[in-house]
Amino acid sequence: MRVTWKTTERGEITAEVAEGQSLMEAAVANDVPGVIGECGGCLSCATCHVYVAPGWLERTGRVEEFEDAMLDVTAAERRPNSRLSCQIEATPELDGLVLEVPDA
Amino acid sequence: MTVWTPTDDGYADLSSHDAFVNGAPHNTFARLRREDPLHWTEYDGGQDFWSVTRHADIAAMNRNTEVFSSARGIRMEDQSYEEYLARRTFQETDPPEHSKTRMKLMKAFSRTTMDQYEEDIRRICADILGDVLDRGTFDATKEIARQLPMRMLGRIVGLPDEDLPWLVEKGDALIANTDPDFTAHVLDKLDTDEFRMMPFNSPAGAELYAYAKELMAAKDKAGDTSGVLHMILQPAKDGSVITDTEFRNFFCLVVAAGNDTTRYSIAAGIQAMCHQPELLAQMQTGEVWDTAPDEIIRWATPALYFRRTATRDHEMHGKTIREGDKVLYWFASANRDETVFDDPFRVDLVRSPNRHLSFGQGGPHVCLGMWLARLEVRVLFQELAKRIQAIEPAGPHKFLRSNFVGGIKELPVTVTPA
Repeated sequence: MRVTWKTTERGEITAEVAEGQSLMEAAVANDVPGVIGECGGCLSCATCHVYVAPGWLERTGRVEEFEDAMLDVTAAERRPNSRLSCQIEATPELDGLVLEVPDA
Repeated sequence: MTVWTPTDDGYADLSSHDAFVNGAPHNTFARLRREDPLHWTEYDGGQDFWSVTRHADIAAMNRNTEVFSSARGIRMEDQSYEEYLARRTFQETDPPEHSKTRMKLMKAFSRTTMDQYEEDIRRICADILGDVLDRGTFDATKEIARQLPMRMLGRIVGLPDEDLPWLVEKGDALIANTDPDFTAHVLDKLDTDEFRMMPFNSPAGAELYAYAKELMAAKDKAGDTSGVLHMILQPAKDGSVITDTEFRNFFCLVVAAGNDTTRYSIAAGIQAMCHQPELLAQMQTGEVWDTAPDEIIRWATPALYFRRTATRDHEMHGKTIREGDKVLYWFASANRDETVFDDPFRVDLVRSPNRHLSFGQGGPHVCLGMWLARLEVRVLFQELAKRIQAIEPAGPHKFLRSNFVGGIKELPVTVTPA
């Protein structure tokens, strides 16, 4: 599956992502600026915050309790389409997904 | 010119505090990364342990909390279950319990909250530096590095300025509990058994607890609900509240952890400036500040290791880690891993990316205070670089006697004010 990250620093970055990988890990592997993932996907840092493009939010899955709490402490403002990308797993249904990376 | 050259023979005893008095034994770490990345380390003081030294291994294991648990202790010393219960903080828990406590504190330590302290920090730096730089020659750890985190602790926890020196002295007694310069109860030399139920095996824990209780009572009376101590006392979403013991331990953790780590990052940065004169000029261009704090913190690596305990057998590098084995993640070694960092023994203020592990990145226990630490380091060096033309060593620097906290405890320098 393919994912596109929209960044201010480097424009659009599109990459092939292996099924099962988290989109935080995929972003870090592709040097997407602004997605850091300091806690390795353990919901302790909120440094993999993204905005999900219109139409895709439901398919990225539910926001659980700890993610919800962490979304309140992101560096950029929380929006209705905010997610922590470590909690989104690459699946075939997400092929073509577009994520906007907020400026920290 | 490299800033510091390790002198160990490549076979240092990692379980010995004395092996770290000239700085971390990096020749030993380099050899282990090369030859024996999962090294069975003999330990006279208790059960032997595994030493993990490669960056990639630590990064992978750190997030695997099901196999490598924090809930059996996080230092190399062995702990009975009773000691663990008496002394634990949320550092010694695993998800999801760990997350539950952490959620109460995230906002207080978030990047956005910390950014609001920038002007406070700048004022404190101006105050610290204004006094000391004119003296020309002084101990930079004592006069600069120790001062800023101590005063910021007061701001964040909501403590009166006049109490801070006493608190920091007690915090040092806790965390530098293996260095006779900081405590009369040296962990591996005296019989500290009577204190084994206290945080860090130290009587200072009891004194800090008494202080925290009094402070909270006074705050309650005044209706003061500010500060992180109030936050930790609030019930979690499921209604659970922390016990008195957990509160005591949390207070000790805040006083100890918030202090010496940033102190030794600042000290290591100043030491680097003394030995790599180009760093001052680079700082003065003003173009290094997005990256410099992390590089200084990589260089320092104040938390040399944290320990985990295997919850089941685990195969790795052709060996078997057995259930119950202690496993040490040597961050100090990972941060000099030549497969991750070009020229790891040079301070490169524009290093990017900089995937250092000083904050325990890659796992749930990633440093809660990391944004404060980065901010303090950035502002301190910005203010220092503005005020001096040159800085050089005024004698040899001395490291703490500890294989847990990597820090320069004495750093004589001479500065030429701008």
